[in-house]
Amino acid sequence: MSRNNIVIGIAGSGGDGIITAGDLLMKSASKDGLFVFMLKSYGPQIRGGESSIKLRMSQNPVATQGDKLDILVVLNWKDFPRFKLELLLEDDVVIISDSADKFPEENIPIDKNKMKKWYKIPIAQIAKEASGTTQSKNIVMLGIISELFNLPKEALKESIKKKFDRKGQKVVDSNINAINAGQNYVINSLEKIDDLVFEYKKNDARIVMDGNEAIAYGAVYAGLDYFAGYPITPSSEIMQWIEKFLPKYGGTVMQMEDELASINAIIGASFVGKKSMTATSGAGISLMNEGIGLASITELPTVIVNVQRGGPSTGLPTKTEQGDLMQAIWGSHGDSPRVVLAPADVEDCFDTTILAFYIAEKYQMPVIILSDGFIGQRKESINPKKLKDVNAGFKKINKRRTPTEEELKDYKRFKYTEDGISSIAYPGIEGGEHHTAGIEHDEYGFPTSDVDIHHDMTIKRYAKYDAIKKEFDFKRYYGDEDAEIGIIAWGSTKGAVKEAVKKAEKQGIKTHAIIPQIIYPFLTKSFKKFLQKKKKVIVVEMAYSGPFVRYLRGFVDFGKYGVDLYPYRIPGGAPFTVEEILGEIIKVAKK
Amino acid sequence: MKTFTVKDYKSKIKPVWCPGCGDYGVLNSLYKALEKLQLPPHKTAVMSGIGCSSRLPGYMGTYGFNGIHGRVLPLASGAKMANPENTVIAVGGDGDGFSIGGGHIMHAARKNIDITYIVMDNSIYGLTKGQASPTTQLEVKTKTTSYGNLITSFNPIRTLIAYKASFVARIFSANMKHSTDIIAEAIAHKGFSFINALSPCVTFRGKEQYDYFRNKSMMLPDDYDPTDEVRAFDYANDEGTLELGVIYKNIRPTYTDIIKENEKRAKDAGVPSKLGLLHNFEV
Repeated sequence: MSRNNIVIGIAGSGGDGIITAGDLLMKSASKDGLFVFMLKSYGPQIRGGESSIKLRMSQNPVATQGDKLDILVVLNWKDFPRFKLELLLEDDVVIISDSADKFPEENIPIDKNKMKKWYKIPIAQIAKEASGTTQSKNIVMLGIISELFNLPKEALKESIKKKFDRKGQKVVDSNINAINAGQNYVINSLEKIDDLVFEYKKNDARIVMDGNEAIAYGAVYAGLDYFAGYPITPSSEIMQWIEKFLPKYGGTVMQMEDELASINAIIGASFVGKKSMTATSGAGISLMNEGIGLASITELPTVIVNVQRGGPSTGLPTKTEQGDLMQAIWGSHGDSPRVVLAPADVEDCFDTTILAFYIAEKYQMPVIILSDGFIGQRKESINPKKLKDVNAGFKKINKRRTPTEEELKDYKRFKYTEDGISSIAYPGIEGGEHHTAGIEHDEYGFPTSDVDIHHDMTIKRYAKYDAIKKEFDFKRYYGDEDAEIGIIAWGSTKGAVKEAVKKAEKQGIKTHAIIPQIIYPFLTKSFKKFLQKKKKVIVVEMAYSGPFVRYLRGFVDFGKYGVDLYPYRIPGGAPFTVEEILGEIIKVAKK
Repeated sequence: MKTFTVKDYKSKIKPVWCPGCGDYGVLNSLYKALEKLQLPPHKTAVMSGIGCSSRLPGYMGTYGFNGIHGRVLPLASGAKMANPENTVIAVGGDGDGFSIGGGHIMHAARKNIDITYIVMDNSIYGLTKGQASPTTQLEVKTKTTSYGNLITSFNPIRTLIAYKASFVARIFSANMKHSTDIIAEAIAHKGFSFINALSPCVTFRGKEQYDYFRNKSMMLPDDYDPTDEVRAFDYANDEGTLELGVIYKNIRPTYTDIIKENEKRAKDAGVPSKLGLLHNFEV
């Protein structure tokens, strides 16, 4: 029996070319139109050092990297223990390793009797014979697994050619020799395992993106004019991508001296009428909080991306967590309205970014995109047509509303209006000269300490929420809406929740999950509707202090709906597995 | 063509500064400098941080922005670079600029962002009612130096020359004619222009601060060449006198020039349609 869904792990030391191998595998599968999902993991070294990838390819859509490894390739056992969490060894795994590796077998954390098969292959030796160097053992390994498990073979060769093309024909040939040698070794010397043979139908080629790239591309697509930022893991790729491409369209990118400068620079840019954005993570977003308050009181459209990482302080810079929710919603001193959005996968990063600019420009406030390291750093294969269509709803991305001639006769930048939105003039507009301030101000923008004005202005700034709540609704529901068990989660936990809902259904447990894209303002109506038939609700989040469940409780009296709450909150680091969520569902179902 | 007068650069509200505050002199010199240059108010932005002097944008008939403490330079840098067609002037005090915001100056100077930065320096925190600032002189008693200030004061001119700011000047608020000329020259200068404006605080430093600045300040000699970096440092190092005028100058590409060159290179490498950018993700 063949299969159309396979999970592969590859680990090795510095110089083993693990990341290159993963990228090639990812590209070849995407070329053949498969759904692919890849996570990378590194040791603490800046460059080189041990690394691992976990890759899942499937004929059908996949929402996670998959829990259980079908195949594990280890080019160097010595460094494997570092990835024991990312590449969890469970029963029935097929292992491939180099027979020359002298690492003591008893130190490998798996019961040999429970694994399906362990292929020990002279990988380095084959590489040396085929290409004159052991360096190509990652490519030999690709040859071995592509032949053994029927992974996209031709596409793999094309990807190799494309990758090494600029290094010259000799290098291309040497790598093609290496992959052929790996494949021939399998044909001549090994027996295939039938139920691990991957079978699939070719489809239109897909593109490969990670979440950071999708945000960067989404921003440029939405008409970004100005970006200012400061490098910080795991968000730097956003600035790097924008720096490369935005100047082609006349936009400006500035690498600033710190995050305080970055947030203030984009506020300055917004003040002169430009669509502006910054991206950061961890400590960087903490530093930006005062500036976000300034954008809020000056009602200047700004987009702030936070690719969350493990915290607090320096925390786990390269790992994921959902610990910044409260800070995003209520960070900065004083009543400082802003909108908080959360993308749930790579494709959604694009969509959410376009939505962020739409809301920022229309409602004149800071919009925070709460991504995380899990979405930001993972690669997914995406249907390019879908990216082109996703924006259909926001085709009217327009610039902020500028004042009419009538309004300019006695221009009030912060004029009280029903929906809280006043017209916005910027340098270049004659007659629109005005004062903008972080200090409380009257309708003209002039400083005041009048308590009544502060009262009215605060309400004006919050009035925009009513309009936003009218304009938007939830759109991500999974499972059966009549189910009595509900699941509420946000952001990158979507994948595991979505697959757990399906698995639970197969086991006869009906659930209904909701994953909001607009986190704040709180879309009360939609939540209340969701709760109508629920008896038990599991709230899933990757933050030990439970900010999400506390936030929900602040807006919804779950008891009033007769709903028992089951918070499932754990510290971050590793992404949720489907089994973990499923286990929680089963536990709650039994209660 | 419309001619602008000082009135066009004034807003509807009156300054809240104490009577005798040096900032009035700087404000009036700024009005006159803008009139001299005939800059359209709607294409001019005056921005600030926090402090007594940072109230200044509110008194301008141009676009004005009173931001947060210490961050006027990034705010002004973003405003300038997002649309270089506008004239951007940053203002603030010595606490805002040299203490909380001190880290930003070297970067605005290094990048040579084409803005003018006027620091109204009274060597005291006025808005918070009289604490020591980075430029408070030795032995001066303030609310946070009860036994006299024992910390060496910061020398902004020397530091700005070291940062290679492309225009470094000093003015004295009481000398409005000279201040007007220097501010106009600074705004017209292509690149980052820094002005240290001696601007007494009569409330917390007393009327004597006027005498102190008057006695210590002197005009630079007529034949002085501000591009002579060694002489500029000599003047800056000699803290016995405070020279007024343009102390140091260098001409090099502004950040606007740099961004233009960078944009040209980016475009020369090919400009796909925005949908065409997807090509970069093809496998």
